[in-house]
Amino acid sequence: MINAILVFNNSGQPRLTKFYTQLTTATATLKPSLSPFSRSRRNQDTSVQQKLISEIFALVSHRPPSACNFLPLPPLLAPPPSSTTTTTTTTTTHDDDTPSLLTYRHYATLYFILISTSTESPLALLDLIQVFVEALDRLFENVCELDLIFNFETLHAVLGEMVVGGVVVETALERVVEGVRAQGR
Amino acid sequence: MDVKATALLKLIYLEMFGHDMSWASFHVLEVMSSAKYVQKRVGYLGAVQSFRPDTEVLMLATNLLKKDLSSPSPTTMSLPILTLPHITTPSLSLSLLPDLLPRLSHSQATIRKKTIVTLYRLAVVYPETLRAAWPKIRERLMDEGEDSSVTAAIVNVVCELGWRRPQDFLPLAPRLFDLLVDGGNNWMAIKIIKLFATLTPLEPRLVKKLLTPLMSIIRTTPAMSLLYECINGIIQGGILDSVDGTSEGEEIASLCVGKLRGMIVVEGDPNLKYVALLAFNKIVSSHPHLVALQQDVILDCIDDADITIRLRALDLVVGMVSSDNLMSVVGRLMRQLRNSPASSSSDNPLSDRVPRFDVEPMADSDDEDAEESLKPGEKRSGQPPPLPDDYRFSVIQRILEMCSREMYANIVDFEWYIDVLVQLVRLAPATGARTYSQGLHYGLPGGESGGKGYDISENVGSELRNVAVRVRDVRPQATRAAETLVTAEQKEGAFFSVGNGGRGALTSAVWIVGEYANLLLDRSGTLSSLLSPSTFTFPAEILSVYLQAVPKIFSSLVGSDRTPWTSERKAMTALLATRVIHFLEPLASHPSLEVQERAVGFLELMRLASEAISSQQASSINEDFDTPLLLSQAIPTMFDGFELNPVAPGAQKKVPLPAGLDLDMPINQNLSHILRLAEFDSVMDNAHDDFGAYYNDKPVAQGGEPAINSLNEPTSETQSYQRGGDESYLDPTVLARRRAERRERNKDDPFYIGENDFTSGTSTPLHNIHKNSNGDELDIDAIPIVKLDLGGNDLNLASDMPRKPRGNGRSGRAAFNIGADENIILEGEPLDREYLEETEAGLDDVSRPKRNRGKKTLLQVDSSGLGTLSLASNDDSANDGLMEVQRLRQEEEQMAKAMKEVERLRLEMQRASERIQAAKGVPPEGTLVKKKTKRVKVTDISGDSKATRKSAKEGKDGQEQSVPKKKRKKKKLIHGDTEGLVASSHS
Repeated sequence: MINAILVFNNSGQPRLTKFYTQLTTATATLKPSLSPFSRSRRNQDTSVQQKLISEIFALVSHRPPSACNFLPLPPLLAPPPSSTTTTTTTTTTHDDDTPSLLTYRHYATLYFILISTSTESPLALLDLIQVFVEALDRLFENVCELDLIFNFETLHAVLGEMVVGGVVVETALERVVEGVRAQGR
Repeated sequence: MDVKATALLKLIYLEMFGHDMSWASFHVLEVMSSAKYVQKRVGYLGAVQSFRPDTEVLMLATNLLKKDLSSPSPTTMSLPILTLPHITTPSLSLSLLPDLLPRLSHSQATIRKKTIVTLYRLAVVYPETLRAAWPKIRERLMDEGEDSSVTAAIVNVVCELGWRRPQDFLPLAPRLFDLLVDGGNNWMAIKIIKLFATLTPLEPRLVKKLLTPLMSIIRTTPAMSLLYECINGIIQGGILDSVDGTSEGEEIASLCVGKLRGMIVVEGDPNLKYVALLAFNKIVSSHPHLVALQQDVILDCIDDADITIRLRALDLVVGMVSSDNLMSVVGRLMRQLRNSPASSSSDNPLSDRVPRFDVEPMADSDDEDAEESLKPGEKRSGQPPPLPDDYRFSVIQRILEMCSREMYANIVDFEWYIDVLVQLVRLAPATGARTYSQGLHYGLPGGESGGKGYDISENVGSELRNVAVRVRDVRPQATRAAETLVTAEQKEGAFFSVGNGGRGALTSAVWIVGEYANLLLDRSGTLSSLLSPSTFTFPAEILSVYLQAVPKIFSSLVGSDRTPWTSERKAMTALLATRVIHFLEPLASHPSLEVQERAVGFLELMRLASEAISSQQASSINEDFDTPLLLSQAIPTMFDGFELNPVAPGAQKKVPLPAGLDLDMPINQNLSHILRLAEFDSVMDNAHDDFGAYYNDKPVAQGGEPAINSLNEPTSETQSYQRGGDESYLDPTVLARRRAERRERNKDDPFYIGENDFTSGTSTPLHNIHKNSNGDELDIDAIPIVKLDLGGNDLNLASDMPRKPRGNGRSGRAAFNIGADENIILEGEPLDREYLEETEAGLDDVSRPKRNRGKKTLLQVDSSGLGTLSLASNDDSANDGLMEVQRLRQEEEQMAKAMKEVERLRLEMQRASERIQAAKGVPPEGTLVKKKTKRVKVTDISGDSKATRKSAKEGKDGQEQSVPKKKRKKKKLIHGDTEGLVASSHS
């Protein structure tokens, strides 16, 4: 499934963040879920998000366009070293819940990032990004970064038509556009 | 409200930039409940972005969600459906499930497909959902007339569920197969193939059926993603393995590999290259020969401009390397390392020692900029892109891995290998360079990226040492290589390419130099380079190795007995000794204890030596003096023991236990008895027995009789204890009486301190235990000494060697004899298979639970609950599930009824009590209290009722139970007792 969809521009400013699974850090899970702590935990939550974005940005921004659209996992998402040292090769092939795939696409001033588990097909995800961008293009007529800033609600609506809870529900461009239009943007 | 919605929208935008908005959750809820769709949408968006399962206001949202789920407008309805996956909790899932299920048969396809996915997400947190929802989902899937996108959504969900419990989805295989064959949707086809890949291991018959459609897809599809996934599915589903050997298998294997090759070569698309390499990586362990055929393409990928691709190719190369291509592969990697400038400061002139081909001197370009400005397309001519340190790091590691695999099975020419190692030391990236930000560029595939300043050259060094120790034939070369490393380091200070990179190799190099000092070309030169003042700048770990090496070289230099003890020799030796002492002296006060200890030890030794040197007269023509004994005999024997051999990691464990030694067995069976005896003894037998024992034992020990004899007579000893009382010791009254008697008796005895007889006796129990425990005969000779079988391995290896294909015969050397790990081989049991298994099992034991917990990386869903839920007998259990839901609902209704009843009773009672109070003229505070208690009580009841539901009692029972309780509480409160209020409100 898809764990998160991120969009940020060439200078790393986020334009869209959508996390389909919660960011669970070791520290966050360690803390007891006492209500006084929840505020600080939430703070931490958002700071983890920001850190993740900046890590991914650091990875992505150095890549030439000729490079492939798959990224190694950033340190935040990298599997804990203890498990990889013991079983270096076996873990990679298994399906599981851990995000293992970072796919990105670069359009003009924007980077579109998908974080997903191994149940998604890397090439299909690239197509998904393409559909997403095309749908935006349809809705905005010549989409640009500013459109996304001022209509970011629509952005979410498009995503809502395509991906629900991390599972892709629609890949046909027409239907996506239709669905968003039906909502009356 | 409009303003609020706009404000919220802005807040959501700010949240994206990392501003916390959890404080606004109540406002989000308010906007969510707005009647206008546009505002509602903003509210739901806020919920998606900011609510977490632990958000408090979520409880208040339940009813709103229920209401919106049954809204007439499909757009409104889809809002909660979209939001639920982000916020749901088990209890929320439970309460919303009945509202969500009917949406599965909604007239609009969009609602249906979204509901399906939302149900899946609910199932992740609350597995019971699936039980109720599965039959309906299945019905949708089987329905031929269903909207295609709904089917695709179902397939997606099934695929997600599939790997968790594949066996439950086998019945769906025929339908899925149909969908695969004639479904036009690529996305769905990919998912189906992925699902089949998890199903085939369970149902081998599927393989046959799948082969034809998959092959035809591979042959015909224009979509690369589908093609790739087909191949991937064939690989991952084990189809390749299961058809192996048949002609069909050959065909499909060659087809797949051919297509993959095409993806790398023909298309020129880096993405395809990447995925093709990934696929190759999956085959390489099972079908190395297939991959090896594609060597040329893969090797090209090693030099690809994109480092991600390079890394993948590198992984692959490690898997497919053999003794034939090892040298060329390593050569290629080395060239890559050499040719591309280091990404960090390489303006170090000394790095020019590293031969570079057609690379401009780096001094003119600031390297930090070089990396930044290296946008594709504007790649500078003739200069390969700079390699980040992490990549270098990983390349070096891979080279070592390739070469040392299976005890150097692939290496034909060890001199070449030593040469490679020496070069690697020079090329090693700087230690400090692995800063955090740089680590970012390369999520290295292994866990090796952990740890600050981990030095890869340490690994290189230990490889060098390994070779030196194991391969006797090249030991001189290895030693000389180490020598050059050591001396060069000394001569040029910062010899190594960047920073202190490569320094880690020094440890091993110095060790080799010391250990095999006799093989050195220039011993005194090496020694003096070791002694040079720059050594002091090294960290303690390296210094301590230096300290060990210096006396070794000294002794081999000085201790030879053959040359006569001439005055020149004397002078030279004395000089050397002084130098060494001079070197050691400052280190004797080194802050590191390890260094200090070694330094002090050797310092004393060297002082002795120099004393011996100066006291021994030099031989002249007429008089012949020997070399001082200390130098010729004593010091060398310190180092010249046995030759050091590598020892297998498990060897220590395998030293067999001496027969009859059972560490778990208590040394003395009746220890507790003895202890008890001893206790009694200390308590009561002070009077005579302690004395008796003392006086009886003493002469025995003095008499020079072997102690063991006395140990053999514990019985007499115990008898002496028992002498005092033949009746039971255990009787406390007897005990007390006796103690009193004794105290009375000893009252006037100056040797007794009345009350302290407890402590005075403490020596006895120990003494006693000691005696008894050694009662078993201790025979030191009986501990078997095991002979280590050293020859066996070497012989085996030696016999293996000639079979190996020889390289290009560059060196005329015969097969190398590689010293294997020393190990104990017990009656032909396989080498350290057992140990490996053991450790593996051990590791698993240790790491499993850890991984299960530690596996929860960021963004991961915990769906462990799903795995345990069985859908095996789909219909029955599903019906059960439905029943369960219904039952729960009924229960709830009953509950509600009961609650009403309770409330009614309560009100009656309240009225009654009011009447009473009114009669008594209680102050108005009383009523106030009562009002408060009302609320408290209601919650109380619900608590009770929950408890009763849990114990599976009927609602009525709960009612009956809770009512009397209520009464009691009420009474308490009626007295206007504020404390009671406090207590109950706390409850």
